[in-house]
Amino acid sequence: MTTSNPLTPEQETATPAVELDGIRLRYGNHLALKDVSLELAAGEVMAMIGPSGSGKSSLLRCINLLERPESGILRVFGQSVPLEREIAAKELAQLRRKVGMVFQSFNLFPHLPVLRNITLPQERVLKRSRDEAEARARELLERVGLGDKADAYPGKLSGGQQQRVAIARALAMDPRVLLFDEPTSALDPELGIEVLAVMRDLAETGVTMMVVTHEIHFAADVADRIVVMADGQILEQGDPDQVLTDPQTERTQRFLRAVKDR
Amino acid sequence: MTEMLNMVGQWMPRLLDGLWLSLQVTGVSLVLGIAGGLALAVLALSRKRPVRILSTVVTEIGRGTPALVMLQFVYFGLPQTGIMLEGFAAAATALTLTTAAYTSEIIRAGLKSVPQGELEASSALGISRRDSLRFIIIPQGMRIAIPSLLGFSILMFQVSSLAFTIGLPELLSQAYSIGASNFRYLEVLTVAGLLYLAVTIPAGWFTRRVERKMSQHL
Amino acid sequence: MSILLALLYGIPVTVGVTACSFLIGMVLAAFLALGVRSRHSALGALSRATIDVLRGIPPVVFLFIIFFGIGNQLLRMNPFTAAVIGLGLISAGHLAEIYRGGLSAVHKGQYEASSALGLTGADTMGRIIAPQAFRVALPGMTTYAISLIKDSSIVSTIGVAEIMFIANQSARSGADGLTPFLIAAAIYILLGTPLAWAARSVEAKLHVRISR
Repeated sequence: MTTSNPLTPEQETATPAVELDGIRLRYGNHLALKDVSLELAAGEVMAMIGPSGSGKSSLLRCINLLERPESGILRVFGQSVPLEREIAAKELAQLRRKVGMVFQSFNLFPHLPVLRNITLPQERVLKRSRDEAEARARELLERVGLGDKADAYPGKLSGGQQQRVAIARALAMDPRVLLFDEPTSALDPELGIEVLAVMRDLAETGVTMMVVTHEIHFAADVADRIVVMADGQILEQGDPDQVLTDPQTERTQRFLRAVKDR
Repeated sequence: MTEMLNMVGQWMPRLLDGLWLSLQVTGVSLVLGIAGGLALAVLALSRKRPVRILSTVVTEIGRGTPALVMLQFVYFGLPQTGIMLEGFAAAATALTLTTAAYTSEIIRAGLKSVPQGELEASSALGISRRDSLRFIIIPQGMRIAIPSLLGFSILMFQVSSLAFTIGLPELLSQAYSIGASNFRYLEVLTVAGLLYLAVTIPAGWFTRRVERKMSQHL
Repeated sequence: MSILLALLYGIPVTVGVTACSFLIGMVLAAFLALGVRSRHSALGALSRATIDVLRGIPPVVFLFIIFFGIGNQLLRMNPFTAAVIGLGLISAGHLAEIYRGGLSAVHKGQYEASSALGLTGADTMGRIIAPQAFRVALPGMTTYAISLIKDSSIVSTIGVAEIMFIANQSARSGADGLTPFLIAAAIYILLGTPLAWAARSVEAKLHVRISR
């Protein structure tokens, strides 16, 4: 990939990929995020786990401003994103070019064939030529193992295939960080595996990733760090082995027991 | 019986001329009106409140006014303001206005039924609002609206019969003037009714087929 | 001002034509809707064809057939009667479709439960199915009533002195050809508005009752 060329360690420490400081998000009367602070290093793979309603998806959606926090500081690769005022369209476009997202429900455009799903945003947002966009799309489809599905419509694909297309679509924009919002939760376990395999492959090639997930095994094997959230707060975070085998808080222990006992 | 058939045979050329004119005025009004309806529907999605309100007011006035009033207004009323339209243009103008108001509601519903997740995906990809309207929302919204638009088109074809009140020689005018000349109102109007049915009933079947096909695809 | 007053006289006529036609339509539509669902295929086909014809011919053509055709050649009638018969029949066709939609929205399990409980066919329809179908059909019925107010303007073409008829007359006779139509349009919009409000509040209430 052109822009996700491995950064040198010095640069990694210099500019974190994502910095969140004191992020507060409210839905009506409900405080969904209670002053959350978190840093994601460039090249890092972070897994966020926690019971549903804990705010992990909301936190993810704050990073590309699908949710608007009412206060806090948000910086993405050094670009600080204003939260106290209406963001200018240009700034928002800048932010979203850096941040790619993969959704739980894939959200492919059903009226466009797979290839067009991947080329349209490249042409409209990155102003790539049709040829260039197609070449890139085919290369990425190959990479997620769907080289033969370019002309199919999303509705004809399995959920796992759709999600892999969605990953290719996000990658085609050359984002510098990829957000995954429960990418396998809508899938049968068998189909989830093929998506996880693609994600594992991405992680190994140094893509910066933040993954909200219920897949404890994936978190344990692939992530550099696990963050546990509950009730709009971060309970604990650290090395996967350490968090999973020796959780520090009672709430985390309870959550992990529930997940493992299933 | 043969006498009857002979008579109908004599009327037929005029009636078919009338039918053709009915179809023309309907076609023109639908093409222009649906374009207007799409424009109103897009304005209704605007982020600017005054624009949304304007679109709603125009739509409600257009929907609340009977097509007959619209026709008479354009043909008999507008000349007072200096706008003189002859029969066909007046009928097409009035029916276009009515079509725009009604179809804007239908299209708006279509545009709104595009799933929220796709809009989120398109903004996460950095696609501008304009582009997501053009490439994501409108193509899908219009497609969802097709069955309702077809149903409305059949209705509009029926409404075109009101253009006889402004002297447009469409199907009903032709039938009525034949009736006035020979006092065979019942027969000639019934034949005209059957000609309308010959269009509306197959069109209804077609609409239902499209509807079924589309519901299978979703 | 005098135009407005003259037009106001048309309101009761418009409302009268609409209300009478709607009532006739409501009753006849029940027979048509039950006919379509009947087990006798001939009756079903006949009802279906009747609905299609009533809905497929432009209302004004229907009125002309009744008033000029039947009225001149077979059976004399005054414009108001012809108008109410014509719009009543057309309403029956449209309302039958709306009823049918309501009936088919009732879950099949309701019929099965009713017969398992030993209810007669009439009781099943009258006490179990129809009340549920009515709730589903109600929004469609009010929407139709609102459009019928506007459609009733076409009875001016056979000489019923309702709003449109008066507007047309005063536009042609007076110096001002524009204002009567503007006022007429405003009256039609105002007539539809309370019904639309009522519809919305009834719908909201029914929604609450069903979701409870």
